[in-house]
Amino acid sequence: MQIMSSASRGSPASNSWRAQFYLSRNTKIAIVFLLPSIVILAAIIIFPIGYSLTLTFQSYSLVIPGKTGQWIGFENYQKIISDEAFWAALGRVGLFTFLAVFIEVVIGVAFAYLLNTIHFGRRLLTSLLLIPTILTPVVIGLMFNLIFNAQFGLFNYLMQLIGIRISDGILNNPSTAFAALVAIDVWEWMPFIALIMLAGMQAIPEQPLEAAQIDGANAWQTFWMVMLPMLRPVLIVAVLFRAAEAIREFDKVYILTGGGPGTATELADLYLYRVSFSNWDLSYGATLGMIMFSLAMAAAILYFYITVKRGEIQR
Amino acid sequence: MKNIISWPYIKDIQEVLKRGAVILISLILIASFTACTPSATPPAVPETGLETEAATAESGWSKEYEGTTLNFIAEATLNTTILKELLPDFTEKTGIIVNVEEAPYDSLVQKVVLDFSTHKGGYDIISMPYEYLGSFAENGYIMPLDEELSKDAAPVPDFSTDDLIPSLWEASTKWKDKIYGMPSNSAVMMMFYRKDLMENEQEKAAFQEKYGYPLAPATTWQQYRDIAEFFTRKAGDTLAGETLTQDFYGVSLAGKRHIATVLEWFNYAWTYGGGLFDSSGQLQVNSDANIKSLEYWLELTAFAPPGYTSATWDEVTAALQQGTAAQAITWADTAGSMEDTNASKVKGKIGYASIPTLKEGDKKVAHLGSWIYAISVDTQNKDAAMLMMKWALSKSIQLQLSQKGGLPATISAFSDEELNEKLPYWKQTMVSLEESRIRPRIPQWGQISDILSEQLSRVMVKEVSPADALSEAQKQLQEALKDALPVTAE
Repeated sequence: MQIMSSASRGSPASNSWRAQFYLSRNTKIAIVFLLPSIVILAAIIIFPIGYSLTLTFQSYSLVIPGKTGQWIGFENYQKIISDEAFWAALGRVGLFTFLAVFIEVVIGVAFAYLLNTIHFGRRLLTSLLLIPTILTPVVIGLMFNLIFNAQFGLFNYLMQLIGIRISDGILNNPSTAFAALVAIDVWEWMPFIALIMLAGMQAIPEQPLEAAQIDGANAWQTFWMVMLPMLRPVLIVAVLFRAAEAIREFDKVYILTGGGPGTATELADLYLYRVSFSNWDLSYGATLGMIMFSLAMAAAILYFYITVKRGEIQR
Repeated sequence: MKNIISWPYIKDIQEVLKRGAVILISLILIASFTACTPSATPPAVPETGLETEAATAESGWSKEYEGTTLNFIAEATLNTTILKELLPDFTEKTGIIVNVEEAPYDSLVQKVVLDFSTHKGGYDIISMPYEYLGSFAENGYIMPLDEELSKDAAPVPDFSTDDLIPSLWEASTKWKDKIYGMPSNSAVMMMFYRKDLMENEQEKAAFQEKYGYPLAPATTWQQYRDIAEFFTRKAGDTLAGETLTQDFYGVSLAGKRHIATVLEWFNYAWTYGGGLFDSSGQLQVNSDANIKSLEYWLELTAFAPPGYTSATWDEVTAALQQGTAAQAITWADTAGSMEDTNASKVKGKIGYASIPTLKEGDKKVAHLGSWIYAISVDTQNKDAAMLMMKWALSKSIQLQLSQKGGLPATISAFSDEELNEKLPYWKQTMVSLEESRIRPRIPQWGQISDILSEQLSRVMVKEVSPADALSEAQKQLQEALKDALPVTAE
């Protein structure tokens, strides 16, 4: 995982002043290729972020009369400080992201290791493994809604077969509902981690592994002390991808629990949705969005900084 | 990427690509510009009613707006489906074409609010839940119709405002002395119960022995509770002489964190003498009456099917249809599906009655859930839209709608003899409509429903006590409604 800008790739390795501004033909072509996406990105990312930022200093509701964009300074930001529900939701999404990504990584790496050792039918297995990941989250939500149904759901039925009688649905109890959402997320995204790790494992040169074996390392030691360190750059990217996804978890929760029972599964994005589209307080919703965005960015930068500083990713 | 770029024919395609990029960008720009301009500006429609008489067709319906296209959005329900089936009749009579869009509750509200707030005029006429009346009226999103109704612009043979059910007319269309719409259906809550079980001699005797009074459809909450307890049985027990193959429950109720839960609770709160606001318009969410009503409801959950904490009106309907629950407080518009052989195992076994009260002889209350037709202020086709409303509420259309299983909003349809004979819930629906009461229609309704659904759900999963949950709701609502108190118009 070499981090390199595509523009620098084609430029000649000269350090002269002219060369700094000289664009090779390849670079020009690259720019032409990139331009449409740059324009689109500007339109769909930079403009909305700028607009959201101005909205955070306004009072704007689509249903409450008299709130049509009046400037209110930092009132929205002040409101956040005392908004317990938001902080609780943020805490919940933090826990959700940590648990989901952690479990996904553990199981995903194990899966990848197993897949890496077998040769017969690996392609078929990896293709099958992809199924949960390519399903639409909404479909997954609807599917598990039936599976976890208290009266005629598959889950309770299977549990009953092995002798565990659950009197209530798994989604009807605050703690099991949260656990169920984590489990569904693991089911959906573990294959993604497994596939990335499998690709990483296949890119590892044979020699260090052989050397370790000759030195008398057992399978676990080879994996833990030789293979895993070499996989770390891949792992870091996989975790970053998944964490960025998990932080904005919405679809499945919206369909399965609507944030309930009580507030047990109210994740930050769901709270944002409620503020913006149930209460129609768009300005406050934008403010919450800004805070979320900043926190996620800060976490990503911190994570990246630590890993790069530790030399895991070479610049 | 490198390989592609050093491809031998690169020089030729370079030029092509450059041009391609320019064209692509231009297309994107054009597309984004066109997306910003108001789409589909409808043709101007003559605004005067002068030629009305002359333009009147043989059917008695005005053909003045022939060729006009109306965009109409309504909730995806049976009523809308039926109305859609009947619309060719309207097009034939008036020459007006109607595009119907169907959407579920949440999505309908969102679409409509976004269309209204951007003044795009995408919808000429909408069917909306009445709790948004205050908000839409005060924001100037929908048109007051008083003048239109009084001058009686276009002659409509089969329609009269006198035929509209008064409670619907008053409660769901009037906001601060102005009329903003007309009722589009007559959803109201009532009590559903298993008539066959109540009439079973064996059960009657057992009930009399256990509770000391005869078994009959509940009229008080105490009776409702006793009946629920009495009929809650395990698989293998006997019910009305038959051995049960699965568990049977005394009630079915909605307890999910969902608007269904909030709407059902209002019935208990109101009959207990509670409500959201006191007589001076201040919040009284944590009043004794409200707490008592919630404690009572929580007590009922002992006799409800598992999973009630994730149940909405859909699950309540299903439990009744599947014959696994003996009673429920639910929506009259699901009664049709109880009597539908394809969907229901209890056809002909369900009785319909008014919602019980705290004490015998108390004033009956039923939660009204009617939707209303309203006209967007941004429409260019106001008169055509008015005509469609009147057509939809005309006697013959309301009758046809009822015959096909929909819920009408007219007295004539409810007093139709044939329908009364055929539909066991017909009479009761009309009675419940007369007893009906409305939920607050203030612009802050969204927040009210949101806060209450969270707190009620916490009670249902026994996370907090009713008193604590309602105190928390009171606190949150006080903050959310601080600019709106006291609430003088509900």
